[in-house]
Amino acid sequence: MHAAAALLEFANVAYRYPGGNSGLAGCSLAIEAGTRNALIGANGAGKTTLFQHANGLLRPNAGIVRYRGQLIGYGREGLRQLRSEVGLLFQNPDQQLFSASVREDVAFGPLNLGLDAATVRRRVDEALHAVGMDDFSDRPVHSLSFGQKKRVCIAGVLAMQPRLLVLDEPMAGLDHAMRGDLLRVLDELHARGVTLLLATHDIDFAYAWADRIHVLAAGVCVASCASTELPRHAELLTGCGLRVPAVIRLCGALARNGLAFGNGAEPRSVDALVGLIDQEKES
Amino acid sequence: MLVDRYAYSNRWRAASPEAKATFAAGGFIAAFGAGRPSAALTVAVVMALVTIGGARVPLTVWLRVAVAPLGFLLVGMLSLVFSVDAVGDGALSLRWLPDGWEPVFRLGTRSIAALSALLFLALTTPLLDIVALLRRLRVPATLLDLMVLCYRTLFVLTDAAQAMRTAQAARLGYATARGTFNSLGLLLANLTVQVWERSRAMQRAAQSRNGDGAWRFLEHDGAMPHRELALALSGAVLLVAYAFGNP
Repeated sequence: MHAAAALLEFANVAYRYPGGNSGLAGCSLAIEAGTRNALIGANGAGKTTLFQHANGLLRPNAGIVRYRGQLIGYGREGLRQLRSEVGLLFQNPDQQLFSASVREDVAFGPLNLGLDAATVRRRVDEALHAVGMDDFSDRPVHSLSFGQKKRVCIAGVLAMQPRLLVLDEPMAGLDHAMRGDLLRVLDELHARGVTLLLATHDIDFAYAWADRIHVLAAGVCVASCASTELPRHAELLTGCGLRVPAVIRLCGALARNGLAFGNGAEPRSVDALVGLIDQEKES
Repeated sequence: MLVDRYAYSNRWRAASPEAKATFAAGGFIAAFGAGRPSAALTVAVVMALVTIGGARVPLTVWLRVAVAPLGFLLVGMLSLVFSVDAVGDGALSLRWLPDGWEPVFRLGTRSIAALSALLFLALTTPLLDIVALLRRLRVPATLLDLMVLCYRTLFVLTDAAQAMRTAQAARLGYATARGTFNSLGLLLANLTVQVWERSRAMQRAAQSRNGDGAWRFLEHDGAMPHRELALALSGAVLLVAYAFGNP
């Protein structure tokens, strides 16, 4: 790992909630600029706690968090700087949307950045357009569906134009079509150079989508690897109570029966494997 | 939320809130000015007719929204007609005030007129428009932030309460009278905890987007709708003139 290239870096971060619940217990991981990162882990593994550290909402009891090589400053100015570059999308949209109007909620962040009205208006329009909610800008928040609220939440973070976007289980509660929409938004952001970090329970999706996968268990990051290396960490996944991606198991079973497909590059989704099999038949 | 639904779907939704507020204010002033009960009733009917005929809010909706405040008004009026006196050794006597009816009618009809004017504004103008208008009128920001927050929280908590009620009902929580009281108690207790947690979550959400306590808003852009305002103003003036002409 190249420490110099890390956009966000956790080193031995430990955090215990005031109630005594342990959140993180010496967690180290690095997010490199421009990459797509998936954070997987069972419920209670500390994903949300880790994310709140990324945005400076929580301050570690021990260990350090670095952003672009610099220690995070927890003073007013340091946090302002950090939060203007690291956007955080909460899991529950009703928790994130506190203004009653869509436009006002999306404008909240940019206005806090101290931008002028014209810039804010432009950013709000762009952000709402990016998530396909242009027609809803003057609607009250409570009249929206769950998926629409989620999109407004994303717009609210996008309007701040973060360098790193942290999404806490963005797919939870979305149907198949809405997941597709969200993925398109994320791909567009990635193409624009935004670094992405998302928590998910869907290991198949994580394997297909992410460049790097980080596995969290009991407040510790037990593995951080390129997705292509995940097949070699299968035992570790099972050890953490996580499932091994279906396509890895399928490929394994095929290989054991003398049916290896592709030339070295392993397919990262069932769809890709199906494509390879069809290709093989044609040739 | 019946009021909210019609505020967003009535025919005058897009009309300028300035115009609608001006007309409603005319109704209010007329309600205070109208001395004779018949004049106040006329003002009430005119405001209701404009709401129903002009903004196309169905009569049944208007009545359903009006029935709760009218109930309160009725109780208030009755308490004005009777007088409770203490007589001698701790006993109470209920007394009918012989000259009670005249002022009660006067007060009641005026209240109905004011209610009708308020309903015109509430049923035609979304609260967010009203808040935006108040902001342009330089009402203190703290008050408006509170209004917006209450408005949003109202819906979040109604949803939470409804979900809890459904969950309780699904497990027979409201099958018996005793169970109903028990369930309602649990619901209230739970809701209190939720209010507390929501407020902390909102604080977090605001902080994560650089919120520092001050709530900033985009300035309104758009021309003053002179025609609508002129229309509303003349309507308001007519009402006020009529009311003060019938003292």
